[in-house]
Amino acid sequence: MSDAVSTQATRSKGLKQAFQRFPFLPALVILIVLLVLNGYFQPRSVSLIGLTGLTKTYLALMLLAVAQTYVVYAGDIDLSVGAIVSLVNVVIVVLMEKWGGSGLSVVAAMLVGLAAGLVCGLINGFVVAALRLQAIVATFATSIFFTGAALWVLPVAGTPAPAAFWRTYGARFFDIPFVFYAVVVLALLLYALARLRLTTQLLAVGDDAQGAYQSGLPVTLIRMKGYALCGVFAALAAFCITGDTASGDPLVGGKMTLYSVAAVVLGGSALSGGYGTVVGSVFGALIIGLINSLVYFVGTPSEWQNLVQGLAILIALMAGILVGRRAQ
Amino acid sequence: MSKLAVSGVSKTYGATVALSHGDLTLEEGEVHVLIGSNGSGKSTLCKIVAGSVRPDAGEMFIDGKPVAVSGPQAGRALGIGIFYQELSLAAGRTVEENICLPDMPVKAGLFVDHAKMSARAARYIALFDGVTGAGFSADATVGSLRADQRQLVEIMKTLATEAPILIFDEPTSALDRAQVDRFFEILNRLKGEGRAMVFISHRMDEIFALGDRVTVIRDGRTVDTSRIAETDAATVIRLMVGEQGELAPPAAPGEAHSDGDVALQAAGLTSRGFSNISFALRKGEILGLGGLHGQGQSTLLRALFGAHPVASGQVLLGGRQISTAAPADAIRQGFAYVSGDRRRDGVITERPILENVTPIHYLREKLFFARPGALKEKAMPAVDSMKTKFAGFSHSINSLSGGNQQKIVIARWLIDRPDVLLLDDPTKGIDLAAKADLFALIRKLAAEGMAIMLYSSEDAELLGNADRILVFNGGRVTRELTGDDRTRFNLYQAAYEAA
Repeated sequence: MSDAVSTQATRSKGLKQAFQRFPFLPALVILIVLLVLNGYFQPRSVSLIGLTGLTKTYLALMLLAVAQTYVVYAGDIDLSVGAIVSLVNVVIVVLMEKWGGSGLSVVAAMLVGLAAGLVCGLINGFVVAALRLQAIVATFATSIFFTGAALWVLPVAGTPAPAAFWRTYGARFFDIPFVFYAVVVLALLLYALARLRLTTQLLAVGDDAQGAYQSGLPVTLIRMKGYALCGVFAALAAFCITGDTASGDPLVGGKMTLYSVAAVVLGGSALSGGYGTVVGSVFGALIIGLINSLVYFVGTPSEWQNLVQGLAILIALMAGILVGRRAQ
Repeated sequence: MSKLAVSGVSKTYGATVALSHGDLTLEEGEVHVLIGSNGSGKSTLCKIVAGSVRPDAGEMFIDGKPVAVSGPQAGRALGIGIFYQELSLAAGRTVEENICLPDMPVKAGLFVDHAKMSARAARYIALFDGVTGAGFSADATVGSLRADQRQLVEIMKTLATEAPILIFDEPTSALDRAQVDRFFEILNRLKGEGRAMVFISHRMDEIFALGDRVTVIRDGRTVDTSRIAETDAATVIRLMVGEQGELAPPAAPGEAHSDGDVALQAAGLTSRGFSNISFALRKGEILGLGGLHGQGQSTLLRALFGAHPVASGQVLLGGRQISTAAPADAIRQGFAYVSGDRRRDGVITERPILENVTPIHYLREKLFFARPGALKEKAMPAVDSMKTKFAGFSHSINSLSGGNQQKIVIARWLIDRPDVLLLDDPTKGIDLAAKADLFALIRKLAAEGMAIMLYSSEDAELLGNADRILVFNGGRVTRELTGDDRTRFNLYQAAYEAA
């Protein structure tokens, strides 16, 4: 009897520790449930082709959620990530066209795009961490500024991306779609980045900024680095959007901003900072993707789709909290 | 030559003088004790030395060379390690990450070297082998630890700096006996290695067991430094009290209230933060809660007000047993609560004064609609009794000084008279004139028959206004001071005695 009680106690303690260490576990559970539901209503959606399409469409959001996570770690937020995506999208499309669309020009344009993302991130980091403006308002302002820059680079949507670019994004190598290679590279990258000293420092700042400062951490510099990393990942997200839509659009990323925040929260990270994982945010982005496709597969009439989508995201959020709380 | 010499440092925040004149010398191989009452400036002095507070004036020398500590990073570079009283830990990180946080070992300049980090943390965790308690491990998150275990992590983090100068600002307040003994063994060894250490504690026995010299700090001034061997506890307490305190007559009122009816009675109240508290409060009486910061006084007042859960015990209001699950219950039963933390508990910022005077009236009268004119008529006498200076009810509360804001907050309780007024350090950050007005009003309310409980972090306020003082220590009432016993000396002695 007492044995049974103690094994149960240790088991619940082990579970609690697992949730402590892997805050994304509730998101993983929801993700699996959604995959099963998708497969039930539309068996083809969990085939190789179906999953390729899902990844192709939502890889950009996954990367953007990762970008958002790094600033959320430190208790900050970046409402300009979508605008950065738009800006990088039009910059690379315009440059590729200008430079002739050859393989080399594509690579060169992408390097410029990465630099553009980095600069945007540094600007955000400067206004938020160095000038100490409120992150939520300051990055809202820079988002308008970045959108303005994007409209200056390309006033109207429509310039096509060169075939070399989007064909690669949709291609298969050795019978495996390109996007899956991209996912593997992303996983390795996230694995490495999780071991960065910067990651620990960002989380420490998000946990208790005063404590981190008193411990002798360069808090301002750490927060700026977080925004810089966010800018770079937003640029990577822009590459995926460009590969998926095959054209330049100065407003393409705008509506993704709050989806990226939602993905971070769905993934189990705390918006107040100090707690979370990038893996969770990737799962969060996939949850949003799967909800969208599920709403479609169950045959929701088009005029009801937004309503059902919104409800489903709310339910996923609540489920995540319930699963997490039960474990604690 | 002294390892560290600080002379004439001061720090002012707005109108509050945190430290008016701090002198300190620190030799290699000594433990230098800093002692002083609540808010006397000990922590400020430590933070100035460590660089996390920048002084307004003063000089600092290390090994005889003048230094300017521009921030905590610079302080560490100069060889100063500090244990912060409020701790500087990241709750979501593991024990080993926290220990190594200020100086993470890295591979390739970018990545955390986990093996090195674990090895380094393990050295400091091993120092406390056997006394860390259940659930403590290198990879446990700090947020999952108990208060004493967290304090140990902060100690380990401080030791891991391997700095020649170590400052410990109340490192033992949550530790148990075995942990303290182990910690003192370590400090004695470090002393042998020639480290220079500052140690703050409010436990007299610890100070005499460990210290080499003691510096007494009073009202923001370092007043005396002497060798521990050449002094005793009574002398130290006398220095903390100061001469004016010894000569000052005990509190003004002092009338016997034994004839008044009992308004509020508590029996065996226990909760997280205090245990087994019993008292009887009579109508017209001001009952003071004394002792060091955070010994359960505020928590008790919040618990009576329904803002902190009570585990066991009884509360009788006017002879009737009551339970208050939420402040709204307590207010309807006749409790009022005024806290010194105006931003959290009092003022509705940016809103007009009228809205700040009337919320309790709305609640108690269950008002849904109200005419501003009628409200003003009700509010006027309450505000008048406080001698509040303001331009008009429609002005924002932010246009008032801190003292006048607090008067408005108190006035909101006076429209409908409460039976019991709970004052939780009500004069924090208020200028002297406003304080005098406040206490004149509080005494008037008591004379009119209101039962009042007063916690104040300023001992002079307690001694000058309370009819009786319950001295708190470690969440328990260790002594009750009445009549002529209400002296600073007795108050300090009771507060600083080992719990």
